[in-house]
Amino acid sequence: MAEDKVLSETSPPGVFADNASFYSEEGVDLTLIRWVLSLTPTERLEVLQDTVDSIARLKGEQTED
Amino acid sequence: MSKPRTDFGAILRTLVDSAVEFIVVGGVGAVLQGAPITTFDLDIVHSRSPDNLHRLERALDALNACYRDLAGRIIRPRAADLDTPGHHLLLTDFGPLDLLGAIGSGRTFGDLLSHTDELELAGMRVRVLDLETLIQVKEETGQLKDKAVLPILRQALSEKKKRLQQ
Repeated sequence: MAEDKVLSETSPPGVFADNASFYSEEGVDLTLIRWVLSLTPTERLEVLQDTVDSIARLKGEQTED
Repeated sequence: MSKPRTDFGAILRTLVDSAVEFIVVGGVGAVLQGAPITTFDLDIVHSRSPDNLHRLERALDALNACYRDLAGRIIRPRAADLDTPGHHLLLTDFGPLDLLGAIGSGRTFGDLLSHTDELELAGMRVRVLDLETLIQVKEETGQLKDKAVLPILRQALSEKKKRLQQ
């Protein structure tokens, strides 16, 4: 990614002025796709499982309120 | 319906250990192929050969599977009932499992087999529908929920091809 797209020298990593760099024309987050593709199938399943588990925990916490 | 803890790996392990012939499709298939989507059930297309249906029935018994019956009845899937192109929506001890006799425009296990990748998954070898075919099937189905994920699947396929060329 080009350095001139960084908002400022103090911007946190991953924050860019040109958001288009991160999305496809249809608005798909390319960073997520590249991250998931970098994982092994086993790791992808673990990420999905963690997501399902975390949502279930959140729902459980909501129900307890 | 009770609320089991979803564990996709446990369902897959039971199917593999029972020597069931199946293809992972749907959302879990998409994730395994690298698409960042979320799903809450495991969709598989099973071989409808008589031997496989009996192995599948044993695996489903081990998973304590029953139909997701809105009236709350406990109905167990039996081998004879699974020999159709229809969809069997089940709940197991490890979460929802959908058995699909055929998908898209009537594609069966035999039709899809040459469009799968055998992936190493936590020590198992699991057949997963490739992204190209998954996209085609969702286009054939034409349901809104399927159309909604098409941009992500198409982009994942594009990125995957780019990685292979590098």
